[in-house]
Amino acid sequence: MTAEQPDLFKGTLDMMVLKAVSLGPLHGYGILLRIEQISGNRLQIQQGSLYPALYRLEHEGWIESEWGQSEKNRKAKYYRLTAAGRRRLHAEKEKWNHMTDAIGAILRATGEEV
Amino acid sequence: MSIVSRCRTWWKAITRPERLNGEIEDELAFHLASYVDDLIRSGASPDEALRRARAELGALDAQRENCRAAFGTRIWDELSADTRFGLRMLARQPAFTVIAIISLALGIGANTTIFTITRQVLLERLDVYQPEALRLFAWTGGENRVPVRIWGHWNETDHTCTSFSYPVYQQLRHQNRVFEDVFAFKVISQLTVSVHDQPEPVTAELVSGNLYSALGVNPVLGRGIQDLDDGAPGTGAIALISDGFWSRHFGRSPDVIGRIIQVNLTPVTIIGVNPREFTGASSVQVSPDVFLPFSMEPVVAPNDAKSLLTNPEQWWVLVMGRIKPGVSDASARAAMDVLLNSAVRSTMTVDEGHSVPHFALHDGSRGEDLNGEKYSKPIWVLMALAGIVLLLACANLANLLLARAVSRQRELSVRIAMGATRGRIMRQMLTESLLLSVAGGMGGLLLGYAGRNVIPHLMLSSWETELIPMRFDWMIFGFTAAVSLCTGLLFGFMPAWQAMHTQINRRLKENVHSATQSSSNLSSKVLIAGQIALSMVLLVEAGLFIQTLANLRKIHLGFRPDNLVLFEIEAPNTRYPAPKDIALYRQIERRLASAPGIRSVSLSKNPLIAGNVSNDDFVPDGLPLHRNAPSYVDDNVVGENFFATMGIPILAGRSFDNTDTETSRLIAVVNQRLMKEYFPNINPIGRTFLSNKRHFEIVGVSGDARYADLRDDPPATFFTLYRQQTRSEPSMTFEITAGVDPAALVPGLRDAVAEVDKDLPLLNIRTQSAQISDRTRQERIFASLTTGFGLLALILACIGIYGVMAYSVSRRTNEIGIRLALGAEPGRVLRMVLGAAWCLTVTGVLLGLAGALGTGRLIASMLYGLMPHDPSTLIGAALLLMFVALLASWIPARRAASIDPMRALRNE
Repeated sequence: MTAEQPDLFKGTLDMMVLKAVSLGPLHGYGILLRIEQISGNRLQIQQGSLYPALYRLEHEGWIESEWGQSEKNRKAKYYRLTAAGRRRLHAEKEKWNHMTDAIGAILRATGEEV
Repeated sequence: MSIVSRCRTWWKAITRPERLNGEIEDELAFHLASYVDDLIRSGASPDEALRRARAELGALDAQRENCRAAFGTRIWDELSADTRFGLRMLARQPAFTVIAIISLALGIGANTTIFTITRQVLLERLDVYQPEALRLFAWTGGENRVPVRIWGHWNETDHTCTSFSYPVYQQLRHQNRVFEDVFAFKVISQLTVSVHDQPEPVTAELVSGNLYSALGVNPVLGRGIQDLDDGAPGTGAIALISDGFWSRHFGRSPDVIGRIIQVNLTPVTIIGVNPREFTGASSVQVSPDVFLPFSMEPVVAPNDAKSLLTNPEQWWVLVMGRIKPGVSDASARAAMDVLLNSAVRSTMTVDEGHSVPHFALHDGSRGEDLNGEKYSKPIWVLMALAGIVLLLACANLANLLLARAVSRQRELSVRIAMGATRGRIMRQMLTESLLLSVAGGMGGLLLGYAGRNVIPHLMLSSWETELIPMRFDWMIFGFTAAVSLCTGLLFGFMPAWQAMHTQINRRLKENVHSATQSSSNLSSKVLIAGQIALSMVLLVEAGLFIQTLANLRKIHLGFRPDNLVLFEIEAPNTRYPAPKDIALYRQIERRLASAPGIRSVSLSKNPLIAGNVSNDDFVPDGLPLHRNAPSYVDDNVVGENFFATMGIPILAGRSFDNTDTETSRLIAVVNQRLMKEYFPNINPIGRTFLSNKRHFEIVGVSGDARYADLRDDPPATFFTLYRQQTRSEPSMTFEITAGVDPAALVPGLRDAVAEVDKDLPLLNIRTQSAQISDRTRQERIFASLTTGFGLLALILACIGIYGVMAYSVSRRTNEIGIRLALGAEPGRVLRMVLGAAWCLTVTGVLLGLAGALGTGRLIASMLYGLMPHDPSTLIGAALLLMFVALLASWIPARRAASIDPMRALRNE
């Protein structure tokens, strides 16, 4: 993790993982790459926390896993979003938008408005 | 769904940990490989790429753990780690573990056994449709209630009775508006039933025609009794039989329907077989063998005058109703009270000064529940005893664990210092306690299963075959499991609590041996004193019961019980209406007298020391009525050889002999006590008295012999000859003396009676000694249980004292070493340690003394020949405890005195 990278809110990793696999089945490393790619390399996921998060999401039933072959014919575990995961992602997104709106409003506030 | 996936993943983690770990490793390996490829592609050297990839992912072990934990296995993993650790700790101290498990198994086993009985005798309900809606009818009446003859159970303490007359029952049934249905039943014991020409005594239940439908009982074969069967008195010769009777006599053959059996010599057709669970409406434990409609009463319960079914004075029928939903007990009672009043007034004449009894409702879900009433007191006492023993075992274990926990302070401090939370430490300690209690519980379950029939055996007469079968099922298992867990928490909590409050810094700085633990030591001491006090109470009670038994055994009976065999013969009224019954008894007496091996034969209306007694009016002729003398005295109707057979001496005059017959003048023998009371300074021989409107001449005076009970002094009694009896005697007890072993005698007796009438069974065959010890059954139960439990408590207290003293000595090694180095005599050290134990013991004994005096009042009525505060018993128990306590502390005290000062000082 680089020094200038912003701290992630708690729970945002879950949301990003769900979003990443919502675009199609991915293995763990692929999820990592996709998040970095979508964010334009502005966000880097700490590798150590990715796998426990994946297992936790699977435990919650939001993603499910299946063993398959990678592009290089390696054995890899692919994750896909479940219906429950899709609902969860939607809810998280709503919450996130709501929160950033609110925080944005606070930050935009000027002296006259108060 | 979330729950499903959670369970699925959790289950996978728990049941297939290797596979899960393998998958995690594979996944991480793939990640590393892909990342390394990408790094190399962007210009890193292979070694550098691998190093970076590994560093960014973090330690593989930690990754694996975290991934696994994400499946919700943390608690499980910790628990299994705690369990493994606990098992190792327990295995390291096998002596402690074995003692703990054995004492717990004994305590829990005792509780399981007694719970089995409690459940069966006090808690179980009738196995019928909605038993909770059943109400047993009863009434209460004071001194001036309408005089009725009661055949049934009369509760002396609250003046209630559950018997009604049949005419009153009929009115209650037909006029009630608050019960869905009202039905009646009556259990009649010792009917004679012949199947395949073999007579056998059975228990029957008379039931009203609507009982089967009202209880919702469906026979497994044939049909139930219906209203049509229950018609005019004497009709309805049909019967249902119990599952047990069906197995015993018909081998569960389905063509039993339509078979004919003889009930009191009347042919009756079997129309059905009851389900195994149905035990009749009266009892929840044992089913009567045969169920007959009430219309068969003239056959099974014959009465001299007229049928009981039309007799308003004889109250004998038990009545139950199924209360309508929404009707409260109070309003039902009020409504039925009005009905009872009108029913009594319309069937009997109620005199001026008499009142009609008031209606009362009892819970009917357990039937008539006579056993519950009879055994509830001894069962509560047993439960209390078993509870005390379990508490003792708990106190003891808590003590041992406390002592052990103190020696583990260092280990715990280290664990806390290394980051274990206090909750985690407490959980670890409780896991160990629960391991012990679960092991003890399993042992207890085995003991309880093995012992489930022991106590019912103790409670029944040895010749009674009607054993209450004790069932062992999940409910008992649940009880034992619950008790085990509670026990584990109970004795584990204090040590765990203490461990949780371990002070890290202090413990790490101080060494174990000098750490003072005054608070834990105090709680150990309190526990020990409590244990000694409980042991004291149990020992005192054991002593009291043992002496009571000894006193009862030493009692001068006034007759000779050795080599006496007793049995009853019942003369069925249908075949032997008076006076044929007397002739039958005479025939059997003469036939038995000529049987080989028999020395002497007698018979009596009441056997001795059997709780039975009869009395009659007694008015001496030609003497002024003694004002204070009771006009009623006990009497017995006997055979001519009664005094010789029983070994009761004739002090003056003569006994009966074979010149006294049905037609000769009426004679009687009185005992010494009666002579003293009624004929002081007068020779009673040749005088006459009036009893039951007949004049008897006194021909002899016999010695005094105890009559109904061992505890009562011989009452004033007169004896008349059964052959001169004019009333019918439905049953007589025969007393036989023989030169041979009583058991060898029985076949000969059966043959002899069968020669007179092959349909007559010998009932309740037993020896007089068995009859006597049966009267002391309750005392024997209490004596053996308090002794057993008392000894157990004593052993547990010893272990406790030994444990605490040994621990305190090892903790004070340093201090004692200094004392010795400074010149203290070893004897002084010995006395110091013994003195500490002595203090504990005396405190416990004094507490126990107070407890024993307190409980003494409860058991006073069960004692004989001594008071509950009997000084020698109290002193004896106290001395025994002190001696044993000193013995237990002797070994640690010796060890303290023989400490080598140099080694003790070098020790730390």
